[in-house]
Amino acid sequence: MPELTYLQAISDGLREEMRRDEAVFCLGEDIGAFGGAFKVTDGFIEEFGADRVLDTPLAENMIIGASIGSAIEGMKPVAEMQFADFISCGFDQLVNVAGKLHYRQGVSVPMVVRLPSGGGFSGGPFHSQNPEAWFLQAPGLKVVAPATADDAKGLLTSAIRDPNPVCFLEHKGLYRHVKGEVPEGEHIVPLGEARIAREGDELSVIAYGSSVPLALEAAEQLDEDIEVLDLRTLNPLDSDAILTSARKTGKVLIAHEATRACGVGAEVASLISEEAFESLDAPVRRLTAPDVPIPFSPPLEQAVLPQLDDVKEAMRELLAY
Amino acid sequence: MKLEAASPSRSPERDGAQDALTRDDRALLLRYMLLQRLSEERGLTLYKQGKVPGSFYDGCGQEAVCVGAAFPLGPRDRMCILHRDLGAHFVRGVTPDRYLANYMGREGGVTGGRDGNMHFGDRELGCVGMVSMLPDMAQVASGMALAFKMRREPRVAMTFFGEGSTANGQWHEAMNFAGIHRLPVVFVLENNKFAYSTPTELEFAVDPVGRAKGYGFPGVSVDGNDVEAVFEVARIAADRARDGAGPTLIECHTMRMHGHGAHDDMSYVPDELLEEWSHRDPIELYSRQLIDEHGFDSDEVEGIRASVEAYVDGCAEEALASPMPDPSIASEGVFAERWETLGDGQAPWSRWSPSANGNGRRPHLEHGRAA
Amino acid sequence: MSSSPTDHQAASSASRPGAAVIEIVMPQMGVSVAEGTIVEWTKRPGDWVERDETVCLVTTDKIDVEIPSPAAGRLANVLAEAGEDVAVGTPLAELDSAARPGEAHPEEHAERPAPATATEDDGTDRSGFHSPVVQRMAEQHGIDLSTVEGTGMGGRIRKRDLVALIEEDKPLHSESPYRPEPEPATNGVGRDEGVLSGGRREPMSPMRKLIAAHMTESRRTAAHCTTVVEVDLSRVVAARRELRDGMKRRGVPLTYLAFVASAAVGALDRHPILNASIDGEELVYHDDVNLGIAVALEQGLIVPVIRRAQRLSLEGLAGEIGSLAERARDGGLEPDDVAGGTFTITNPGQFGAVLATPIINQPQVAILDLEAIVKRPVVVGEDGEESIAIRPMTNLCMSWDHRALDGAQAARFLGEVKDRLEGWEER
Repeated sequence: MPELTYLQAISDGLREEMRRDEAVFCLGEDIGAFGGAFKVTDGFIEEFGADRVLDTPLAENMIIGASIGSAIEGMKPVAEMQFADFISCGFDQLVNVAGKLHYRQGVSVPMVVRLPSGGGFSGGPFHSQNPEAWFLQAPGLKVVAPATADDAKGLLTSAIRDPNPVCFLEHKGLYRHVKGEVPEGEHIVPLGEARIAREGDELSVIAYGSSVPLALEAAEQLDEDIEVLDLRTLNPLDSDAILTSARKTGKVLIAHEATRACGVGAEVASLISEEAFESLDAPVRRLTAPDVPIPFSPPLEQAVLPQLDDVKEAMRELLAY
Repeated sequence: MKLEAASPSRSPERDGAQDALTRDDRALLLRYMLLQRLSEERGLTLYKQGKVPGSFYDGCGQEAVCVGAAFPLGPRDRMCILHRDLGAHFVRGVTPDRYLANYMGREGGVTGGRDGNMHFGDRELGCVGMVSMLPDMAQVASGMALAFKMRREPRVAMTFFGEGSTANGQWHEAMNFAGIHRLPVVFVLENNKFAYSTPTELEFAVDPVGRAKGYGFPGVSVDGNDVEAVFEVARIAADRARDGAGPTLIECHTMRMHGHGAHDDMSYVPDELLEEWSHRDPIELYSRQLIDEHGFDSDEVEGIRASVEAYVDGCAEEALASPMPDPSIASEGVFAERWETLGDGQAPWSRWSPSANGNGRRPHLEHGRAA
Repeated sequence: MSSSPTDHQAASSASRPGAAVIEIVMPQMGVSVAEGTIVEWTKRPGDWVERDETVCLVTTDKIDVEIPSPAAGRLANVLAEAGEDVAVGTPLAELDSAARPGEAHPEEHAERPAPATATEDDGTDRSGFHSPVVQRMAEQHGIDLSTVEGTGMGGRIRKRDLVALIEEDKPLHSESPYRPEPEPATNGVGRDEGVLSGGRREPMSPMRKLIAAHMTESRRTAAHCTTVVEVDLSRVVAARRELRDGMKRRGVPLTYLAFVASAAVGALDRHPILNASIDGEELVYHDDVNLGIAVALEQGLIVPVIRRAQRLSLEGLAGEIGSLAERARDGGLEPDDVAGGTFTITNPGQFGAVLATPIINQPQVAILDLEAIVKRPVVVGEDGEESIAIRPMTNLCMSWDHRALDGAQAARFLGEVKDRLEGWEER
């Protein structure tokens, strides 16, 4: 099995689907001739033509709106936001049109919005956000956030085949730093299923995206009996997997790079306290960025985004409780 | 094509239409306008009787715009219809009972109670329902047109918006994108002089029809109260689109005779303006035109009205008999299990013969239910 | 952070009093570079280093770089050796910037700081606080918590303390939820007892019974006719040769059946009567082509369906056929996978047959067989210029329902499929 980077896996999955189904096409800013700001669609326009790899104007509502209209009519658009942060410029179409069409009218909108998210390289407040919680608050949108190269390809395939709008959060920090074996050809990872990345009995760390490799590294270094659960899909959440893990260990740390208030951590913590209260041996804790815009200068950014030592410390605290 | 003053018989668009409309077509144009007028009157009554939760909006005085624009479309074309365009829904095959039931939040309404007033579209008839944010649907229509273009299908997407929403950034994005790619989309701009209470001079500095040129395609003005004129311009625009010549902006000049909603007393509208436009009622104008120019006699025209009245009565009863939805469905249907194609709309214009209509439907012209 | 911020500078080891340790870190040498390899260290631990003096050489696939020291001092520890691959941002070495030149070498620091018990035990007695799980387990197992020694903070009784006390002995569930279906009674009519009295008997499997019922019903309902066309597959053979390896690398097996499927789906668009069903006295034309592909399993024939096949490319169809066949053989098909077909294709030719009269899969109106591909001598060329050539020929046999269509339509459809295959151009 070949070893691909997280970024290559996304390209691979997208290319597979475009070869397999003529209805799949890409649209976004600079994805064609330039191959995409992060080169995910490098080589695509040569293989699939300018029709199916559409360089759009600088207009996020238009990108999302055109995706909606063409998806209604049977195409399968994969829209790229150049940075996840820019989804705020397309938010109206995503939340009010795409998310609500099926509920109101029974109309299926099979589209994917790819969102390069996350910080850690002095991107500043507008190129570093993790906006997944916005989508969780809007009914009608599915949300996935892979942490491994294998899942990046597999989840993208499932997202493209899903008859609903799916927000696909690809963490920029994982693009070239995460590598793994990725099956060739058709590779499907179903939505709504979490994955146990590391088994353990004393503490559950529930994480997604960039926090998964961080949690795994921390658990390795501490060399303790720590379980790491990779959520993979944020909506629909795999509540069974979450509760099973929580009930097994009785101690839960939820880690995500996204800011604190009303994030995935809040949702999962609430779920656990409602459904697994009598299995708890410690309060459910969250390790997240605080509610501030992500700053630019490295010492400031590192003070805001959770670092390895922060994860280790949070783990130690809970183990000792 | 710029329209001169509102004298019907001197409108240049008229002559082209003569060849494209049969006698039956003309009767249908009148019928659909009446269907909108009388259904909305009935809806307003129900609203005043407290049977309509929320608000009530109608397109009184604007019937020629939506009926004329929708009439040329074929069964495989698609529409995003707005709140003053009920006539377009009827042209595509929605029946008044489903419209009234939707306003009343009943099970038999087009959305089964999930969305109210004019926020509906029957997916079985190729209509995508509007959202409140305007002009979002212009972007969706451009998206559907993109699919047609990519698959090289001779189909057209049509969308409506008011002159006020041309102030919104999304209008720019939709027009721009359609212009860049010469998408097969028809943008119908209903200039009815007021966006709620805001008059046109506070919405734009330059009449938007001229701005179409800035996006790379033609903008055309037409008398929005002359149904055949609107038909003709829409027909040309739709044919252009299907032939690959790209989008058209059609500005229909008309006047909103009622308030923005039933809750609006329109006190900001100058009386003289209302007075002037009250003489240009599209239904009255067309009724007279049918008699004066197309060999209809007044009994026939009266008969159409009477038949529509009776029909709407029957529909209203059906709508009232429809139950309120079961609360248990409130959380269902957020996500789709699988994608399904939109259905095709009814296409009553005689150009679309029964064999071109996949299911051979044609609306009935006599008493009783229309298909 | 939601926990206390960490001072990276102070995190490294520095047990020598007065030391001020600075890390030398693998720099970011280009946006897309993620790691580098250390070529050699030009300074060793204990060496004095000036500010900006090179301490090691590093190479990446883009560029070779000399790593300078950020300050003057004594090189204290080297954290990665020559030949190692190191990720960007990883510390390579530590420099003691408080050292003075001429001082004695510092001791080697092998140890890392012991992980601090980061929790503050403020001395409060928490032995009386019982968390939800501790209370539940105590209740369930009849444990008197006042007798339990807690190992948590402040003497708190932790879950693991109770777990250690309890002996677990869960019984295994031996009850199986599976109940086999009662066999339905067989119903023989017109039996020749003589023939039936001898030989080895075997009950029909459920699948076999289903097929038996379906086939007889189909024969009873439809007015079966079969039409055959001969097809010269030389262009298809050539195309397959061209395309096969590329698709194989992508995990897609390109079979002749995929070509026939593609041609048939295209032809159905022009001959919609073949993609229809009969309902009473009405013909139901289906919008989509849901293509059934017959897969021969040991226990019988199963027909999984490719939904909306009209939107798939050749590669897409080949991929779907491959994956459905695999799932069918692994027993991984869902009920949805075999429902909703509008037209069926089968491939008895893979076993060598050259002609067949298949039975229609109800409620469809036609079924298409691809027979064996056999090299035959055929006449090629126009009038007056004919010659014999050897071509890979096959028969496409289609059984169709005369209630819905006539021979001419069947033949025209098959003719279209034949034309598409014989005129195949690489797309």
